[in-house]
Amino acid sequence: MFELDVATRHIKSRRRQTLFSIIAVAMAVGIIIVFMSMMSGYMSILIDSTIENQAHITIMPKEGEDYIHLYHGLENHIYRQEGVEAVSSYFQGEAALQHKHNAEGVLLYGINPEDEKRVVNREKYILAGEFTSLENPGGRIILGYKLANNLDVEMGDSVKAQIPGAKPTDFTITGIFQTGTPVDETMAFTNIERLQDLYGVGNVVTGMGVRMSDAYVADDLANEIDRETGYDAVSWIEQNAKILNMMKTSEMMVYVFYIIIFGISGFGIANVLIMIVMEKVGEIGMLMAMGTSRRSIMLIFLLEAGILGMVGVIIGCILGYAASLAIASIAIPIPPEMYSGMNHLPVVIELKNFITAGIFAMVINIIAGVFPARRASKMDPVEAIYSV
Amino acid sequence: MSDKYIIQIKNLTKIFGNGVEIKALDGVDLDIVRGEFLSIIGPSGSGKSTLLNQIGILDTPTSGTILLNGVDVTKMSDKERSRTRNKELGFIFQYHHLLPDFNALENVMIPLLISGIKSSQAREVARKVLDEVGLGDRMKHRPNQLSGGQNQRVAIARALANKPSIVIGDEPTGNLDSKASDNIYELLRQLNSEHSQTFILVTHDEGMAAKTDRIIRLVDGRVAENSVNFG
Repeated sequence: MFELDVATRHIKSRRRQTLFSIIAVAMAVGIIIVFMSMMSGYMSILIDSTIENQAHITIMPKEGEDYIHLYHGLENHIYRQEGVEAVSSYFQGEAALQHKHNAEGVLLYGINPEDEKRVVNREKYILAGEFTSLENPGGRIILGYKLANNLDVEMGDSVKAQIPGAKPTDFTITGIFQTGTPVDETMAFTNIERLQDLYGVGNVVTGMGVRMSDAYVADDLANEIDRETGYDAVSWIEQNAKILNMMKTSEMMVYVFYIIIFGISGFGIANVLIMIVMEKVGEIGMLMAMGTSRRSIMLIFLLEAGILGMVGVIIGCILGYAASLAIASIAIPIPPEMYSGMNHLPVVIELKNFITAGIFAMVINIIAGVFPARRASKMDPVEAIYSV
Repeated sequence: MSDKYIIQIKNLTKIFGNGVEIKALDGVDLDIVRGEFLSIIGPSGSGKSTLLNQIGILDTPTSGTILLNGVDVTKMSDKERSRTRNKELGFIFQYHHLLPDFNALENVMIPLLISGIKSSQAREVARKVLDEVGLGDRMKHRPNQLSGGQNQRVAIARALANKPSIVIGDEPTGNLDSKASDNIYELLRQLNSEHSQTFILVTHDEGMAAKTDRIIRLVDGRVAENSVNFG
């Protein structure tokens, strides 16, 4: 294939310019790979923390009902489903907590700590005290740290809970948690039996959390539970649909920027090729005189675009990989309000990002080559030969 | 049609320009015998190069026909024209138009590679042809490492590589001094007698033209003289 031979000679004959165009492509690819790795990192952190900190499936009462009655039967039924690791029933109610002159409205969760901690790793976020202290059906409560601040309470202090229809009850604080999310200001846990008693509705629950071995099949099981039992089962995917969709939309937006960045690097390639075409007019004419078809002339310059692009992509992938590793290794303090417990920028190096960036860059580079290549192939051989 | 003629040109007209029209060729009739060594002369602007480019199928006429081996090349598709140029025609221009990034051997290989011949085979053929034009010891040199006359020899070798039936030269010695020019002429003459290929040269060098088999003199796009030399 002499076209490839001619293409490589052209590239070699213009070392400096081709080098710059390759650098432009490599930088574009490298930067975009770093962006993608960081996007993947944030995405996976978000999803991991969601999966970690939320029940994979939440089961709520049937439509028009306030409670799940005879919930042990439902618990057993769900336990028998494939992939279910743990089930935790809870009783949730609104309450006002009061300490001295401070009062805050909270969502009070009555749980069985042994079950609950198997569904959601609550213990991980305990700042002080023990999550399992709630096993005691006495008046014990665990608060979010912001809520504790707002009420101006500490471990061991007592708060008064106002529950509609019940007389005020004292709870002793046996734990404080910090998740880094808004629930730190609005949520409190207590023992399920204690809460059921206070509400005086008997042995019922308001919901159930389910943990699965594979969080990504939660949607399927939720639908099945929904259909089979009539209870309202919602997966974490459905619950977070809004934020997941938002991330997808923002990813689309980012792609617009990718196209712009690749477009700029594509101009570099187009520029070099236009220069080569202009310099090689006589040569192109002679190649045509010797019987090179217009298609072959076109191919020569598309190959040049392809080669420049390919070298740029390979160097860019290496740069992107190195830069991603470097960024991942630098410790950057991140406020716990954003992502609790993180001290590094989240970077996930994924092969698919390299492939996407590479294909993306190649397509744009080839497109950049089309204009000069067409220009070369449309030349009139007579004019081209006598132009020198 | 006779097998005697390799090219038969009938009433060939070429008009340039889209505002002011210039008749570069005005009803040219010309038959060229197989194996002839022919020169086209005339003042500048007389249509010599235009006629040569028509014969070389590099350009299309406004009207008229050109039969090459009995086939009308004016009706060919772009692809067929390319293929015919590659197989049947060899070109030598005033400027050698060698590919600067390729050495002499590689330059001569190009028409062979275009025709689809394997690289190893092309290399062998190119080597032979370069030997024939006397550049056996310059094969690895690039055009910028060779003299004007040597480059023109490489260009001749390239024109001959595919064993075309017609070799056309547009002022092939126009850039050379008289000694180099004579050498090139002798080489072309020798190749013509050895390979019985048809050579058509455009020149304004009357002395060189006088040494060819036949002189076609063009004036204002018409054949003004068609005289056989009995050297």
